[in-house]
Amino acid sequence: MYESALSLKYGVMGLLAEESLHGYEVKNRFEAMLGGTWEVNIGQIYTTLQRLERDGLVRPAGPRGDRGKLLYELSPEGQKALKQWLAQPDSGPQQLHEDIYVKLLLATRIANGDLDGILARQKRAYLQRLRDLNRLEERARRDGRIDLARLVRGALLHTEADLKWIDELSSERFGAEGARTE
Amino acid sequence: MDRRAFFRTFRGGGGKDGMSELVRLTDVTKLYQGGITGALNGISISVEKGEFAAIMGPSGSGKSTMLNLVAGLDRPSSGTVTVGGTELGKLGEAGLARFRRDHIGFVFQFFYLLPNLTALENVLIPAQLKGNVVPGRARELLERLGIKEVADRYPARLSGGQQQRVAIARALINNPTLLLADEPTGALDTHTGDQVMGLLGQLHRDGQTILLVTHDAKLATRHAARVISVMDGKVVDDARLESPDRTASEVIRVRGEEVSR
Repeated sequence: MYESALSLKYGVMGLLAEESLHGYEVKNRFEAMLGGTWEVNIGQIYTTLQRLERDGLVRPAGPRGDRGKLLYELSPEGQKALKQWLAQPDSGPQQLHEDIYVKLLLATRIANGDLDGILARQKRAYLQRLRDLNRLEERARRDGRIDLARLVRGALLHTEADLKWIDELSSERFGAEGARTE
Repeated sequence: MDRRAFFRTFRGGGGKDGMSELVRLTDVTKLYQGGITGALNGISISVEKGEFAAIMGPSGSGKSTMLNLVAGLDRPSSGTVTVGGTELGKLGEAGLARFRRDHIGFVFQFFYLLPNLTALENVLIPAQLKGNVVPGRARELLERLGIKEVADRYPARLSGGQQQRVAIARALINNPTLLLADEPTGALDTHTGDQVMGLLGQLHRDGQTILLVTHDAKLATRHAARVISVMDGKVVDDARLESPDRTASEVIRVRGEEVSR
């Protein structure tokens, strides 16, 4: 939750660093930048803009205009904060978002946990995801969205690592079975 | 002739009905003296005409052994291998050689072009073995694979990607029923490898049946709708993948999910 709010905050600031925008433009550009991989509602955008304004990181770029629309721009403090954030590498604990990590732990504890079945089904799901990501990457490249293609490439490599992990676990299982039958 | 029409002309038999069996391995084992690397331990699979199937597994899992048996380059210790209705075990050496020449196109990781022949001459070898002289068709293959300008060069003067394209042209010259590719991008950089795989994908879309051996899941899933996983000489999974048009957010989420949960 906190992390999501965090990158939304800097995402908004980054867009305002390019040019002044009002709330709806921020929402549309943010979603377009992410190529549909992150949908935000307009309420989140306005809340974020209000907090950024409260903290002095963005400010109105002039009076309210047509239909009460307010243009926002990045303040000098905001520019400084954004620059710092961009320069800061991501560190801290690695995020493992998927249930499979917990399933694996439970399957090894619960009798009849069907670890082999879990691994086999997970492998198929990862293969399907790789195929979907491959298609998404091709589409992004075709559309000239090199930035998005790079993002998808990152996801592809992660999924490839997940697959290798499943294979490693499966081959441990095969090894163990081999030892039992000998 | 456009690219698609060309590949249709040059593809091998099959592909149209798409539902008939082309390859069948039944209880195939392969034992090697002095080790289990590459051995097969009871494999049964079938491949339909028009399929693009990837055989995936770590090195030593037996995936290349499977391909060599299908190609008739090697014989199983037990079990049967049938390709296009022909049981390979019933063929003698001369029969197997004819079978390979007439039905199999094989692309290898390290190209295996003859260094003292030009690109064009390399492409022509399988046709000449069959008694056919088809330099026009060979040149056209090279053109459609994007390397017509190197037709008269020797392999030493070709890049890796060009050499592999020549090898693909050579594999296609006799209109093989089945195109086999063993780690065809293993010796190429990522970009060139993508291009070579793109060519294989195009051949498949035009009806060519392809069996690809790879350890690379990204490559396998990119073009093959079927992924056969091999481990320790056994088929451990046989996945048929879907190709729906998913929206970006159905495939990938950038952090946003935490909020909606």
